[in-house]
Amino acid sequence: MTEEIINKKRGVPIWAQVIIWAALAGLLLLVGFGLRRAQNPMAEIGKPVPDFELEYYPGYEYNGVKKMKLSDLRGKIVVVNIWASWCKPCEQEAPDLEETWQLYKDGGDVVLLGVDYVDTPKGAEGYLTKFDISFPNAPDLKSNISSILNRQMGVPETYFIDREGILRHVKVGPFTSVKEITSIIQSIE
Amino acid sequence: MFAEFGYGILVVSFLVAMYSLIAAVYGAIEKSAAMVESSRRAMLLTFPLLSLSAAALVYLLVNNHFEVAFVYEVTSRSMPTYLKVTAWWGGQAGSLLFWAWLLAAFTSAVTIRKWERDIEFLPWVIVVNSITLLFFLGMVVFYENPFTRFWLVGGSVEPHMFAPLNATLFAAPDGNGLNPLLRHPGMVIHPPMLYLGFVAYVIPYSFAMAALITGRTDDRWIRLTRRWSLWAWLFLSFGLVLGGRWAYDVLGWGGYWGWDPVEIAAFMPWLTGTAFLHSVMIQEKRGLFKHWNMILVILTYSLVIFGTFLTRSGVLSSVHAFANSPIGPFFMAFVSLTLVVSIALVIWRWPILQGETEMNSMLSREALFLLNNLLFMSVLVVCFWGVVSPLASELFTNQKVTLGPPFYERATAPIFAALMFLMGVAPLSAWGHSTIQTLGRAIWKSALAALVLTVILFITYTQNYIALIGFFLIALVLLVTLQEFWRAARARQRAQSENFFTALTRLMGRNRRRYGGYIIHISMMLMAIGILGIEIFQTETQGALAQGEQLNIEGYTVEYRELASWPDEGEGVNYTRAVVDVYENGIYLGELTPRIDYYFDSQQNMTIPGNRSTLKDDLYVLLVDWEPVSNAGATFKIYVNPLVNWMWIGSLLFFIGVIFAAWPDRDPAEEPVRAARKAHQSSAAD
Repeated sequence: MTEEIINKKRGVPIWAQVIIWAALAGLLLLVGFGLRRAQNPMAEIGKPVPDFELEYYPGYEYNGVKKMKLSDLRGKIVVVNIWASWCKPCEQEAPDLEETWQLYKDGGDVVLLGVDYVDTPKGAEGYLTKFDISFPNAPDLKSNISSILNRQMGVPETYFIDREGILRHVKVGPFTSVKEITSIIQSIE
Repeated sequence: MFAEFGYGILVVSFLVAMYSLIAAVYGAIEKSAAMVESSRRAMLLTFPLLSLSAAALVYLLVNNHFEVAFVYEVTSRSMPTYLKVTAWWGGQAGSLLFWAWLLAAFTSAVTIRKWERDIEFLPWVIVVNSITLLFFLGMVVFYENPFTRFWLVGGSVEPHMFAPLNATLFAAPDGNGLNPLLRHPGMVIHPPMLYLGFVAYVIPYSFAMAALITGRTDDRWIRLTRRWSLWAWLFLSFGLVLGGRWAYDVLGWGGYWGWDPVEIAAFMPWLTGTAFLHSVMIQEKRGLFKHWNMILVILTYSLVIFGTFLTRSGVLSSVHAFANSPIGPFFMAFVSLTLVVSIALVIWRWPILQGETEMNSMLSREALFLLNNLLFMSVLVVCFWGVVSPLASELFTNQKVTLGPPFYERATAPIFAALMFLMGVAPLSAWGHSTIQTLGRAIWKSALAALVLTVILFITYTQNYIALIGFFLIALVLLVTLQEFWRAARARQRAQSENFFTALTRLMGRNRRRYGGYIIHISMMLMAIGILGIEIFQTETQGALAQGEQLNIEGYTVEYRELASWPDEGEGVNYTRAVVDVYENGIYLGELTPRIDYYFDSQQNMTIPGNRSTLKDDLYVLLVDWEPVSNAGATFKIYVNPLVNWMWIGSLLFFIGVIFAAWPDRDPAEEPVRAARKAHQSSAAD
């Protein structure tokens, strides 16, 4: 073999190696971060819930407002219930939630928010009418609220946020009685 | 009994694979043929072992052993037996075992072959395969055990493999049942095909690694794995197309592809695999692109693993995603290991992977193939960004912004158009050297004919310029490809004085890969017709109809006749079926019966369209809603999907093309032209 051919057999330049390894490290870090998030089973209890915005379904409002932020409710206990019209277990708890709302709505101290996850407007309307739901309800547009609450499991899921905006309790799956809901609310008081 | 047996065998398989790995490494380092042979035999043992374990699981599934958590999750008494068998891959734990079983099958198939000429590859091929197998077995043994059972401990039911203290076995009276969406014949074969494609890519990867480790970087590894990669590609393509067909038939959104992260995860290795099929020819013919081929094989395998990881660990949300699972960190470690080791090996061996010659014309076939590869890589970059960007946006803005179909469509459409143009030009270019003049002479007739056709379409069918560009490119590729068949067969006919058909069949038989490739090109163009049709010309309408009322769309009239709803207790399904009459321009065409099936066990609906399919278009009718008691009114959504049938026709031709190209025949040892050139070079260097 001539020297010329040997000279052509170059390795990968150091700067290219640096870029390759840095890119790989960046990618793995990014994915690792995503994984850590995904591994978190739920929004963190004991920490403040990041703010989110919602716009209620037609015919729903709270204190005369159609559109609001979670932070507007500071000072009240907020119960965020995530549901969907295709979710059968949600139907089990829907009457109990409505009954709970009837207990608290005049006090003005506890707010029930229904958040509809991945649904059609028609399906949502049917569901809300079927169970005569009167507490404020809004769609989870772009699944934004689900992602802020770090919701991972199925629907229904319910989040109890205290007067300071701190997440205090998460219930996965349907409630079995009104008492179950009220006792959690009382424990937050 | 069966559960303990199945799990015991899993553990034994794990140990055998572990032994095989250690023996292979030891044998390779100590140059001990006996150890390598021992490791090979151990590897061969894994397939029968895992088959036993799988048989135990299938037995449990078929016989309603609801004390087993996995059986409870994916089956119910009302499911027919064949669905209980296929429920094997209907959930995370089972599908991981399925994956390991397929991997063992492939590994056995590759280790059983004759190894005389390539004995130095053998231990390293075993090493790569056994590490992969150990990884998948590790997941089922330690994290996602399909044989875990329910135990009654105190008052509560807990899942454990073995009985906790004072516990009794707990069996639910009936299982959850498989997700109804998965109860479709397409679902019976779609996942296995995808998994086959995924798993088969481990073989080319293991040979590439063996070539890098041993430093034997001639074409041997490429020749050994060429057919493997073609079969892997066939299975992967088949899996993708079946998934599309299933979505079209079952999901009821009038589409076949939704740019969902899991779809993209399967599409990404397909892109690099397709690029590899092209660039591998250049290494064989011209001795170029050795680095590039190595990178493509590594990329394909890494994307298989990476995509599987993303969708199974819960990192990405998707309609296909598995529930949140503990395998994430373990999977992440394996992905990192694969990438780090592969990249390190490539960097280490970079100097000895230099090409044997240089490219000397920008219009030569190798240059056009390089361009083809770059375009495939561009599509990959778009897809990869689409998949990873939600993670990035979440990191920096705390919100998961998912990129939807419009992003992918806008970004990839021009690249696909460029690929189609290349498909028209590249077959006409020559290896080594081509000029504008030679290419122009070869292409002008087809280009002119395609242009005339496009003008006719412009006058008679559509003024949509995207569609016209698409149809022009489709016509160009079809004409060029058919012309290639014609020209070569005519030449042979004259030279050998055979009749035209004998000449054509012999010609194709002598160069399967080339003509198989051309058949695949034609099939891709047929599929492109279907894609253009549904993407650009799809129309839809929706309306609530009383009995006897009609909806009109694109010359069709759909009239609501009746609706019936009845439960089938045996099947565990409530059927709601509407009957509509279809007319086209007043002529009665027949009836369609869109349905909604409600599954009692999983409390889920499944929407099944009534579809009238012709070469011109599909009339796709969905039942959306109905009045439960009177059945007097019902709401329908109707799509007209022009030309979509060409997609399925194209897929059928596609499989014929791939099988034609991949069918085993005798390989010549090396391309005669290149062997001659190498001989010439070495004599010149002496």
